[in-house]
Amino acid sequence: MNIVVCMKETPSTTAEKSFSPDMRLERRKEDAIPNPFDEYAIEEGLRQQEKHAGSTVTILCMGPATATDTVRKALAMGGDRGVLVSDDALAGSDAISTAHVLAAALKKIGFDLVIFGNAAADAYGGIVPSATAELLGAPLLSYASKLDVDGSTATIERQADIGYNTVAAPMPTLVSVVKAINEPRYPSMKGIMASKKKPLDTFALADLGIDPATVGAAGAREKALSAEKVSTQRKGEIFIGNEGAADRVVAFLVEQKVL
Amino acid sequence: MDFTLSAEQQMIRDLCRDFAENEIKPHAEEMDRTSAFPYAIIRKMGNLGLLGLPFPEEYGGAGADFLSYCLALEEIGRGDAAVGITMEAHTSLGATPFHLFGSEAQKQRYLTKLATGEQLWAFGLTEPGAGSDSAGTETHAELHDGTWRINGAKNFITNAGTEMTGGVTITAVTGRQADGHKEITNLIVPQGTPGYSIGNPYHKMGWRASDTRPLAFEDCEVPVENMLGARGEGFRQFMHILDLGRVAIAALSVGLAQACYDEALAYSRERRQFGKPIAAFQAIQFKLADMAMEVELARLMYYKAGWLHMQGQPFGKEASMAKLFASETAKRAADQAVQIHGGYGFMDEYPVSRYWRNVKVHEIGEGTSEVQRMLIAKQL
Ligand SMILES: Cc1cc2nc3c(=O)[nH]c(=O)nc-3n(C[C@H](O)[C@H](O)[C@H](O)COP(=O)(O)OP(=O)(O)OC[C@H]3O[C@@H](n4cnc5c(N)ncnc54)[C@H](O)[C@@H]3O)c2cc1C
Repeated sequence: MNIVVCMKETPSTTAEKSFSPDMRLERRKEDAIPNPFDEYAIEEGLRQQEKHAGSTVTILCMGPATATDTVRKALAMGGDRGVLVSDDALAGSDAISTAHVLAAALKKIGFDLVIFGNAAADAYGGIVPSATAELLGAPLLSYASKLDVDGSTATIERQADIGYNTVAAPMPTLVSVVKAINEPRYPSMKGIMASKKKPLDTFALADLGIDPATVGAAGAREKALSAEKVSTQRKGEIFIGNEGAADRVVAFLVEQKVL
Repeated sequence: MDFTLSAEQQMIRDLCRDFAENEIKPHAEEMDRTSAFPYAIIRKMGNLGLLGLPFPEEYGGAGADFLSYCLALEEIGRGDAAVGITMEAHTSLGATPFHLFGSEAQKQRYLTKLATGEQLWAFGLTEPGAGSDSAGTETHAELHDGTWRINGAKNFITNAGTEMTGGVTITAVTGRQADGHKEITNLIVPQGTPGYSIGNPYHKMGWRASDTRPLAFEDCEVPVENMLGARGEGFRQFMHILDLGRVAIAALSVGLAQACYDEALAYSRERRQFGKPIAAFQAIQFKLADMAMEVELARLMYYKAGWLHMQGQPFGKEASMAKLFASETAKRAADQAVQIHGGYGFMDEYPVSRYWRNVKVHEIGEGTSEVQRMLIAKQL
């Protein structure tokens, strides 16, 4: 089975964020990490590979030229090779442009199963998996909390608030996964040392036959207007008194779904 | 001059930082309270390859460079010093002698199990009568019919008595050299060898979850091939091992100093007195500035000592400087971290009280601060 995991490079969640005047996130190489949501996708790809002998796992990333280091970080967890799509004309791409590029790269690489995280920790758009599926004319099994591949069918459980659905699609298919699906492994020391020896191809737009005018800032239809920090002011509620305070605390915790 | 770490070095450091944060730190308080050896954590570290970082892949190691190993130790030590010293004593003192001086057969037999973390190994140099004066070894061994018969005692030996321990390499007097000095040879004593007994673990001020034991040898017999390297090479071998170990202890100390600084900085921003966070007071800011500066300097010194070693250049003086400065930096950092916490810092609930207890031994193990100063002075 030819498994491809799409991975975005994002700034570390703890890194200070800053924006250029045209509202692009300023990316610093030293803060770059694989999108934390995509670690679940990588882990799932590796688990499927372990279950299905003879499978290969490719890490596919669209990002700046320096993202090779981030692809290698993903390859330290496992996988056979990396593909980075990088081109100066891609800077400022919106989600639809990204989907165009990933779809073109996936066609070029070939795939049976494509796994995505369900969003990227920086932009949080969450539509790249569905847009890519649409452009490829392939099914998308979204928000998977469990994935089984059997012959030519992929079956997922989709987690909902009070239960889950079981949904199946014929292969080749795309899947997006949620955190509940697995516990991503730590890269082993051997994995880290091996990651630099794994093949990593870089494609430019020309390699994928994409017109630069249709992607990047030139082709973007979405525009970020502003970015504000969430106020981290703690909203405390104080329950006083012997009578009923404990019950109210319990009721509050139940309401917050803590209990 | 380029201070950039390689991609692998960064990955190893970041992984160890995550591992320490998620898998070690949450258990540190309990480990200290119960003094229970952290088997689950050590096994996980073995599976990730953290117990064989600087050894070649052909012997089960990760094939990382020496600085990567030190970076890893810093991060693990930042999570917990007892776990850090377990990793350090196993790698630097236990496994490295096999890597550097072992025969091919010994590497296959011992190093492969140590590098994968299947077993831990100890190094026994210190004796009741031979501490700083490490050449004062009294444990002795005589060769009879292809068998070494060992008699003597060792104390304060790390990793000697865990369920995972495969054995100990000890220094023993095996005769006299032509100049009258003791001839010292390193001998491999596997767990379970008749005549080798391992005492109960010591009750310690810090590093509590690490395993430290007294050892006794009474007509303990091992075959002649359990000699590490050549007869009479023991002194030269352990001097080299200790030089390397000092860079590692420096890294571990930087991790502990960093942990003190992390806690102190966070607490100073939270704790309010006189209507402000205490971090707003210059007296506190200056302490934090000193801590940040010294941690960075100590880190640079172990980087340099490690780098010299990787370049194949002499690094003994720099190793002593790194160990001395880093351990004393960690001591000052622990002291100031408790001070910044006020009375809370004196309470067991706050990690800085544990850091303060842990840090003392960093100025003692693998050569006291006095010994480091003597070694530096000798090389001026
Ligand atoms: C937790 C722990 C783990 C350890 N693990 C190991 C291990 O795995 N393997 C191992 O072999 N050893 C181990 N040690 C032993 C450690 O290396 C020794 O404790 C250390 O070298 C000091 O020796 P000592 O305790 O006998 O002190 P001493 O040598 O008796 O020193 C007492 C004091 O005198 C000072 N002093 C001694 N000689 C001089 C001098 N010439 N000039 C000035 N001052 C001097 C010392 O600096 C010190 O302040 C461990 C120790 C501890 C506490």
